[in-house]
Amino acid sequence: MTRTEPTEIVPLASSAAATWLNFWFRPADARPLAWVRILTGGLGLALAASYAADLDRWFGPVGMIPPATVAEWSGGGSRSLFLLATSPAGLWTLFGLLGLALLAVTVGLFTRSACLVAAILWASLLNRGPMLAGPADDCLAVLLWCLVVGPAGDHWSLDQLLRDRRGLLTPAASPWARLSLGLLRVHATAITVAVVLAQLKGDTWWDGTAAWFLAARPDSQLIDLTGLYRRSEYLTNLVTHAIVAFEIVFAGGLWFDASRWYLARAGLVAWPLVGLLAGEPLWGLAMAIFCVPAAVGER
Amino acid sequence: MPPTGQPPPRRLSETTLAAVSVAIAVYLVGLILSIMGNSVSGSSALVRTLKGRLFSPWLAPAWLDLGFDHPLTYGRPEDADHLIDIRVSGGAAGPAETLRLPGTRQGERAARWRRLARRTALAAIEDAAAPLAAGVGSGAFGPLEAEDVIVRVLRRPMGPRADAPTRPLLVEAYAARMRRVDGDLQLIELGGEARQSELAPVIPPADLQDGDEEASP
Repeated sequence: MTRTEPTEIVPLASSAAATWLNFWFRPADARPLAWVRILTGGLGLALAASYAADLDRWFGPVGMIPPATVAEWSGGGSRSLFLLATSPAGLWTLFGLLGLALLAVTVGLFTRSACLVAAILWASLLNRGPMLAGPADDCLAVLLWCLVVGPAGDHWSLDQLLRDRRGLLTPAASPWARLSLGLLRVHATAITVAVVLAQLKGDTWWDGTAAWFLAARPDSQLIDLTGLYRRSEYLTNLVTHAIVAFEIVFAGGLWFDASRWYLARAGLVAWPLVGLLAGEPLWGLAMAIFCVPAAVGER
Repeated sequence: MPPTGQPPPRRLSETTLAAVSVAIAVYLVGLILSIMGNSVSGSSALVRTLKGRLFSPWLAPAWLDLGFDHPLTYGRPEDADHLIDIRVSGGAAGPAETLRLPGTRQGERAARWRRLARRTALAAIEDAAAPLAAGVGSGAFGPLEAEDVIVRVLRRPMGPRADAPTRPLLVEAYAARMRRVDGDLQLIELGGEARQSELAPVIPPADLQDGDEEASP
């Protein structure tokens, strides 16, 4: 029987530590984060806009989702700043603040504070009406929290413009940028793995009919593929299996230097396409945003 | 003119590295437990307890207690499009007395109403739709100018691929009557698919054994 000598453990441990430090803390260029910031801000504004027209009808003093309903739905544990807004003025003030914060994230003004305020208010809005939230909302929350960590306003932002005017130097590569990029990659993988695991529990993803059931929802479909699927069972099967295959390859391939760039670029196209087929276009866009750092060549 | 030089890369102190490393490790455990604990398949008591006691209290308010359990579809009836239909109880069901949601709304705005409808239908399966229906019903008192309304969740069933292309008829997945009587709100659950399935199958009296009568309709 061979025994592991303590001298063999030390290099192993130091190698693991080096990998950990390298992945999470090696200073990185913050430009990819700037891309993520701009796109996340835009997505956030689109998702927030979808609440605006019905805000009073849902959360107003005589709205359809009163605090008591939320308390029962979430087992009494829901915490949301929007629950404190008991008047339409209060509700709209908070919602306006969220809109302003998302706008500030998009243009990169007081970026880190804006990301923090946007993340808190977005989470609060979702906790105010959890039964309205969809997959794109979940992804936006994750994206905003990831941006809080890193210097997302160092480039292509009003913050940079203001810094340049004051004659300050452009910030250098930062370990916080690496941390933020690392979190984005971990979440891209975690979300995709969770989606694949959820899909593989259902027969439709094995027997190749899931694509049909995605298309056979006339109210939420964006493009009508039912005619095509009716004509060819093989096409229905192909689309179903292609979605799962892409997700599996994407989740694994993001972790290899040789494949990351290609898969991230493929993800920029494939995720919005999956979103389109699933009737969840903003979710597809949110997933594509996770691909951006690797697609633009994070270093 | 913007400065052209770049300072050297920033480094973190050993203490910061250690503190952030611990924070990341803790968060990653929380992320994994959230995915394991929010699955439609259910989760073990151990995972539920660990997640519920240690992670949910700080992950849930940040909307990070997520399972990302988005299969997109399982092809079940519950995965179909749903909508909410509210009408004045006993009314003629004319346009002024009916509220259909999402109605003419489009995109994500409509999707939010469909989610509310679908989650009400799903809750009905577990006999837990009353709070949602009560909220929706009482919220419709104002727009419908009535204090006695019928809330129905309607489903547009998804036909098999081989079926002829027709727009499927709506099926009632859940229904409840919501009214205010002497200032008190009352919800009376009327039926829908979930309730009907409780009644079936009808067992012939000859097949009933002692005690089964309680379970029969």
